[in-house]
Formats: sequence, C-alpha cells, structure tokens
Amino acid sequence: MIRVAAVGDIHLGLDSEGLLRPALETLPECADLLLLAGDLTRHGTPEEARVVAREMSGLPVPVVAVLGNHDHHDEQPERVTDVLREAGVRVLEGQGTVLDIDGTRVGVAGTKGFGGGFVGRCGSEFGEPMMKEFIRYTRRCADGLRTALEDLAEAGCGTRIALTHFSPVPDTLAGEPLEIYPFLGSYLLAEAMDTAGADLALHGHAHAGTEHGMTSGGVPVRNVAQPVIRRAFNVYHLHAQEDGARPAAPADVVG
Amino acid sequence: MTAPNTDYRIAHLQDRLAAEELGELGVRIEARGPGVTVTGTVPTAQCREKLVRTVDEELTGLTVRYDVIVAENAAPDRPEEVT
Repeated sequence: MIRVAAVGDIHLGLDSEGLLRPALETLPECADLLLLAGDLTRHGTPEEARVVAREMSGLPVPVVAVLGNHDHHDEQPERVTDVLREAGVRVLEGQGTVLDIDGTRVGVAGTKGFGGGFVGRCGSEFGEPMMKEFIRYTRRCADGLRTALEDLAEAGCGTRIALTHFSPVPDTLAGEPLEIYPFLGSYLLAEAMDTAGADLALHGHAHAGTEHGMTSGGVPVRNVAQPVIRRAFNVYHLHAQEDGARPAAPADVVG
Repeated sequence: MTAPNTDYRIAHLQDRLAAEELGELGVRIEARGPGVTVTGTVPTAQCREKLVRTVDEELTGLTVRYDVIVAENAAPDRPEEVT
C-alpha cells in the first residue's frame, strides 16, 4: 500500500513562513510521499518560491511538484523551479519521476496543464492565432503527461499517479461557476490519463470545487486545492496493482 | 450623473485584486440583493485583512457582506482508501 499525501494551492507568500511546517513534520507517520499540485506561491516570485522551499526542505519523505498559473505570474517559472529543486523538490513539467517506496516502484507524471474546457463545451484550434495557441498549449501539456505516464509503465512502475494543476474532469469543479469551467481544466488531460493509464489523478486550481471525481476511463480524480480539502494536505492510500498499474482504458469499446 | 454601475465596480475590483499583492485567489464577489457578497478562502489572516481593506475602499457606499475564511493548516485526521 502506498500512502500519498497531496495538496495544491497553498499560495505561500512572505507572510506564510512556517505555517505549514508543523503539519508537514507529521508526514513520516502518515505518508510515503508528498505531492504538490501547483500554485505554491501567489505571484511566482523567487522570494515567494524561497518561502515554499524553506517549508519543504529537509522533509523525510520525497516531495514532487508541478507549478500552477500563479507560479508563472512573475514570468520566471524556471527560477521558481530552480529554487524548489535546490530544496530537494522534484518539479515536473511533461516529465515523470520514479520513487522506490519500500521496494515498490511508484511513478509520478506531472504537468501544469491548462484550460480549454470539457467535451462538448470546449475551445478548439480555430480562428485567431491566440485561440489556436491556447488549445495547442494545453495539447502539448497533455501530450507530455501521456508520454510520461507511458514511460513510467515501461519503467515497471506498479503504481502511477498523474499530477496536474488544472483539472482533467468537470466533476471536481462542481461549486465553481459553469461559465469559467474552460479556464479551469481540459478533457485533453483526462484523455491522456485514460490513454496511458493511471491509478490516481491529483489536481488543484479550483478553490470552490469538490474533492472527488473520475475520468470517463475510470481513473479516480481528487481536487486537492487547500481551500477544498481544508487541511494542510490529504492522504490517499493506494493499493498497488498485482499485475501492474491500472491499464489504459479501452478507447473504442462497443457494448 | 447616474450612480456608478455596481457590476463594473465589481469587475474593476477583481482586476485590482488580481494586479495587486493578493493575486487572483478565487475569491468570489457578487452583487446580491441590495449589496455585494465576498466569499472564498485566503491563505493567511493578513490576506483577509488586505482583502477586506481593498474591497471596502473600492466599493465605498455599498453594503458588503463577507464570508471569507483563512486556509486551515492542520494535518488530516484520517486517510482515504482509494479503490
């Protein structure tokens, strides 16, 4: 059994020093790893990233993160990434990482992701260049996630987790205004997970959403935005598949 | 001269919040009845104070009701078994 702690949208600023640390110190008792689902800062400045880094540094469990849109606001995501990596946080964007948890290979694939909306209510690559680029950017994020999940399967990971900031499904957005769903996530992320296979999907971004959802291919989805879970983090127990991670969902099954 | 349009005042307030030190924190600001409601979760007590100050300043003359809580930083008391 793998114990996954996760939280997103912690939005640490210069006034947040030490707020999460007492809860994080309890991690070894309840979790094998900590996943951070983006929006770790408020404006994505290196100073705010250093607050996050101090909060996460030296934790006795591995920490894996993706960035969120806030972490891009100051247009220095590379510096934010560097600061976090120096503190030992594995920051993923279209990449995967393998963790050895008591002899079990656990893979985490991550991307920030982006918006675009959900099936039947989404943008498409049409019209103005900016609109086309909007969707293409999301597609690149989703492609990176799918490739990373596939690589983790090939690397023999018995458990695979998809970590994003934007949501892969509308389920976990319930509570948000319907009109803003296209800015909160994209079905392309869910399609990537269902194509490559995953045991759990974690995301943030939707502060007014709900925790539980599922992709149409059956991957459990959890919105771990801190305003949603109302904790420093939540813990999910995953039971490793005996014959490898949850396989990709059949794309064209007819009843 | 007509009174300033409440809808646009709210829109401008949201722009200001996003541009200033709070950033876009998913705080919902809506015209409701004769006033305005502000709901959401913010990371710290200082953020809440700053939010209230900015809203009060921007929406002077309107009745504003707040339901804004500060994020909770306690460790969870139980895990979820994901099956």
